[in-house]
Amino acid sequence: MSADSPAIATPPPVVQVRDMDFCYGASQALFDINLKVEYHRVTALIGPSGCGKSTLLRCVNRMNDRVTGARVTKGEVLVKGKNIHHADVDLTQLRKQVGMVFQKSNPFPKSIYENVAYGLRIHGEKSKSVLDEAVERSLTHAALWEELKDRLHANALALSGGQQQRLCIARAIATLPDVLLMDEPCSALDPISTLKIEELMHQLAKEFTVVIVTHNMQQAVRVSDYTAFLHLGKLVEFAPTEELFTNPREKLTEAYLRGTFS
Amino acid sequence: MTPAPTTDNPFAGDNSGIQKRETAARWALRIGSHIVVFTTLAIMLHIFVKGAPVVFQSKWPFVNTQFLTKLPATLHVIEDKQGHRIETDVNGADAVKKKLGDDFRSEKTVSYSGGGILGPIVGTALLVVVSVGVALFLGVACAIYLSEYAKHGKFLETVRLAILNLAGVPSVVFGLFGLGAFVLTAPVFVDVPADRSVLAIPLGFTTLSFEGWDTCVLSGGFTLAFVILPVIITASEQCLQAVPQGFRETSMALGATRWQTIRYSVLPFATPGILTSSILGIARAAGETAPIMFTAALAFKDKLPWQKDMPPLPTDASIFAHWEQSVERFLGIFTESVQALPYHIYTIAAKIPQNEYSERAQYGSVFVFLVLVASLATSSILLRKRLRAKYRW
Ligand SMILES: Nc1ncnc2c1ncn2[C@@H]1O[C@H](COP(=O)(O)OP(=O)(O)OP(=O)(O)O)[C@@H](O)[C@H]1O
Ligand SMILES: [Mg+2]
Repeated sequence: MSADSPAIATPPPVVQVRDMDFCYGASQALFDINLKVEYHRVTALIGPSGCGKSTLLRCVNRMNDRVTGARVTKGEVLVKGKNIHHADVDLTQLRKQVGMVFQKSNPFPKSIYENVAYGLRIHGEKSKSVLDEAVERSLTHAALWEELKDRLHANALALSGGQQQRLCIARAIATLPDVLLMDEPCSALDPISTLKIEELMHQLAKEFTVVIVTHNMQQAVRVSDYTAFLHLGKLVEFAPTEELFTNPREKLTEAYLRGTFS
Repeated sequence: MTPAPTTDNPFAGDNSGIQKRETAARWALRIGSHIVVFTTLAIMLHIFVKGAPVVFQSKWPFVNTQFLTKLPATLHVIEDKQGHRIETDVNGADAVKKKLGDDFRSEKTVSYSGGGILGPIVGTALLVVVSVGVALFLGVACAIYLSEYAKHGKFLETVRLAILNLAGVPSVVFGLFGLGAFVLTAPVFVDVPADRSVLAIPLGFTTLSFEGWDTCVLSGGFTLAFVILPVIITASEQCLQAVPQGFRETSMALGATRWQTIRYSVLPFATPGILTSSILGIARAAGETAPIMFTAALAFKDKLPWQKDMPPLPTDASIFAHWEQSVERFLGIFTESVQALPYHIYTIAAKIPQNEYSERAQYGSVFVFLVLVASLATSSILLRKRLRAKYRW
């Protein structure tokens, strides 16, 4: 796992977390995290509730900046090779390239079209044809285009829960981010909608790099290439999904997977 | 072992203390709310019964246009020997007396109770426009800052507390504040500063002199703005907070700046509430007497704010040729002192000898005032309904 392996074939990781400590005010939430996310792979973060999965995910697009007192106290986060805490990093550009989908689907109470176009509009895109094209492309990616192409100007709140969540995915990928962060995107959905989004994940990985937080271990097996297991703010194990689930190296991981967790 | 039933009804109430208290509480609450409703209705009815005959009439156009379109004036009541009373104004009095000749018995004057109440209506409208404009701008800006930008903590709590306290300050204190701040010290651009100027800063082409705006619509409007500011800030902040936090997170996660987030995914959804609260602010501003007593209102004025002794604009060219003068005259409206409805009501109710004529003028004014305020409240409710339907989540 040395950082300077002479591998020429593998491109540098798109997200790299190095020796990172993270604190909410006085309480430390993450301890010495090291993580590499490869291009066009799905990486899952699993672990018991409160172990810091969301915190770690939100470190990648610096959403934690919104929380007062929350900060990285040691180490660094690199996205596309750049330390994102460096002074010359523009947050709006970072977040344009690192998209995020939240647990609760939260479309704006605007039209479907406006929801998807939102990201492009705030980045100054005015051309109707570019927006039209981006809306179609994003909705197609999110497997929504066929369902919704005739009612693009209907209010997004009229959609079903599963459709709303896919709309949120479409909205997040409209700006063509390199990385798509998903925080338990299916936890509020029924099994069929969940299945649809899981299928989507493989498609998305062809174009984007996906990091997904999930509570559901079967889901991690089904969708991810790599899995990271966190426990009490520490990254216990990080390995290819198959390996981690069939042959965990750490006792703690094994216990968690078997459900015999103390 | 089943105990033998004592009555046929196994669910009969036992008339215990619990049940008695329940009944007592229900009745106490019911009576309380009925008293409120009854009192409100009684006040409305009283004003309607006494005021409506002044404003409405049985002949076409059914509304007493005189009352709504004339300025207040002194009422002259002339009585003839048969006991008939003729009401007229100062200009008509002599003619009436001449016509009556020997029939003339007595003449009585009642100040402020004749004519109409156009002056106070116009004055109140101007004051409301200025105060709501200022309060909305400052209040919404402040609410946005407090709710979206300011860091949570001691300072923010202190500011909130200060705003809440501001709402509890008696309005006469605002009046004195307005007198000191706007009437006597607010800055103006003048060529020659007045003697009473607190501070004069020469700017070369003109002088910025802190000599106050005098009693005028502007002073009164700003003072009223501070009276309604706490209401507007608190209400606006609540409306902003009611917008789901997820909208902000999503917008920021898409790379929007804070202002873009506010502009596109917070404000549109908070506007209905903000507007509603501002309309209620209008009703409050229109009703305050003390803050305008020293800053804007006159007990009596025989001119509307735009009726000034000025040479008429040359009529040779289009109005645009004299736009500078036109603008100046328009702004001049706001530097005039005015009459205002609440102060007018106070004057005719408390400052002049009471009789049937002054009472009539009182109730007429109060009725008009009430109708204006009620229609504002109604429109705020309608507006909120419409906007809610448009932006709901
Ligand atoms: N805004 C915050 N302020 C302070 N502490 C926080 C905040 N958010 C999270 N924490 C703390 O950080 C730790 C990690 O929380 P986090 O939300 O990352 O857990 P999680 O793994 O996502 O849990 P879940 O599976 O329940 O979503 C928890 O102990 C939590 O109490
Ligand atoms: Mg979480």
